[in-house]
Amino acid sequence: MGYEFLARIRRTSLMATAMGALFAAVYASYATGIAFAAGALWSLANLSLLETIVRSVTGGAHEQRRAWLAAAANLALLVAGGFLLVKLRVLPLAAGFTLPFAVIFLKSASRVLLGSKAWAAITRSPWRATALVAALAAVAYFAIVPLTRAQSGHAAPAAEHAAPAGEHAAEGAEPKKSQEFPDLVTLALEANHENPLVQQLLAVPGAESMTPEQHAEAVEKKLQGVSSIAFSLLVALLLCLVAWKAAQDKSAVPGKFRNTVEALVEPVYNQIVDILGPKYGPRYVPFLGSLFVYILFMNLFGVLPFMKSPTANLNVTVALAITVFVYVQYTAISELGFLGWLDHMAGTPRSPVEWGLVPLAFPIHLIGELAKPVSLSCRLFGNIFGEDMLLVGFAGLGVTLMKTLGLGVLPFGVPFQFVFLFLALLTSFVQALVFSMLSTIYFLLMLPHDHDHGHDQAHGGEAHHPAH
Amino acid sequence: MDFHSALGLALPLGVGIAAIGSGIGLGMIGNGALQAMGRQPEAIAKLQTAMIIIGAFAEALTIYAFVTVFLLMGKI
Repeated sequence: MGYEFLARIRRTSLMATAMGALFAAVYASYATGIAFAAGALWSLANLSLLETIVRSVTGGAHEQRRAWLAAAANLALLVAGGFLLVKLRVLPLAAGFTLPFAVIFLKSASRVLLGSKAWAAITRSPWRATALVAALAAVAYFAIVPLTRAQSGHAAPAAEHAAPAGEHAAEGAEPKKSQEFPDLVTLALEANHENPLVQQLLAVPGAESMTPEQHAEAVEKKLQGVSSIAFSLLVALLLCLVAWKAAQDKSAVPGKFRNTVEALVEPVYNQIVDILGPKYGPRYVPFLGSLFVYILFMNLFGVLPFMKSPTANLNVTVALAITVFVYVQYTAISELGFLGWLDHMAGTPRSPVEWGLVPLAFPIHLIGELAKPVSLSCRLFGNIFGEDMLLVGFAGLGVTLMKTLGLGVLPFGVPFQFVFLFLALLTSFVQALVFSMLSTIYFLLMLPHDHDHGHDQAHGGEAHHPAH
Repeated sequence: MDFHSALGLALPLGVGIAAIGSGIGLGMIGNGALQAMGRQPEAIAKLQTAMIIIGAFAEALTIYAFVTVFLLMGKI
């Protein structure tokens, strides 16, 4: 125990605050989220100041002045706290205030628990531990789910299952406004739409104030969203399984499976290290390489029958692009420092002319930075969604032709879309490559580069002056 | 001209006009890439990679117009 324990408390509290505020903002309201975050941050600041005071009071004579400063700051913080109490909602504020204390309690309790004999007894065998986790999950499910169901008013008799997942096959492609191929998740959810769990999943906010057509459209959209998320999780799970299986092979000469996986990983590694250089390359290869492989397999999933590309949904691509954007900016600020980042955004002004142009250069760079995730997401979405629409269009044409030929009883149509499947393979690969290469280049632009670069021309000019 | 006719006219026209720019751009990319490949056959792999990546950028601009069509298709 000691000061590093407090530092860990701070870090965990910050992460928990961020997540809690996000959840509150999404599921309750923005005001609740802000109040929660404000309460937690206030409490953390208070605790830090108290720690400083205690350390300096017990530290020795030369530290006493810091105690006075910290006490004055704490007084200011108390005044600010009073201001917050008046302005923000009290309940989430109080909840945020107690968050660091909850974290301290839980961390200490877990420290005690981990050292105890009972824990050692449980974890001696993995099966016992799994049984305990399963028991806890079952208790949580049976305790919490009836509570939420009672809250949302679904007091209907539980588990009234409709007919089991039907053989809806090709005729499931009902065009409302935009046609889609039927996929497993959509089919399963549509077949079970009497199930109260499914109804909760597909519940649309504000359903009472919509006309039946609007409601049906909104549910359709939500269904597409849910199936996109389900497929993206499925792809991630499959990739994790493959990676785990390949990592199990620890022999000096790799077996077939590991060899295949390495044959995919090595060109990606070389490509990224080529661009980023040997110093930063290996650090960002996990993120960028995983991005490439993940997007590639998400794109390719749509070619499989009864599967759907999650990247054909704008929300998925925007999520990926925002992740890249946040990581790039975080990297820039942590590598260049905040002032260095501002300097980079202002176009690294070195001469008076460039300093004068800063008010122009800064907004331009800022807009350029914001345009990057927009273009990344729209490019990937447009390509994959466009491919999907192309396939759907031509498949529909084939079905129509089959019906016209009088063979409508067959469960498939003339396979016009077959040729475009190859184009889909190429597009999937190219778009995954472009996304990850662009992300790599965004990292490269933000990282400090010690070789010649465009905006270092002022430096290069000065270096050529004769030495005195 | 009412809203629906205007939209029905504008959306495909937008894609077509965007395609003009993309077509010219892709042609220039191909030109530069092939010239460079002809001068230095041993760099063909690198040039191919770069050409495909730059081609994806040029194509993306038309894809934006294409996406707009699908977003507004229901309103025609």
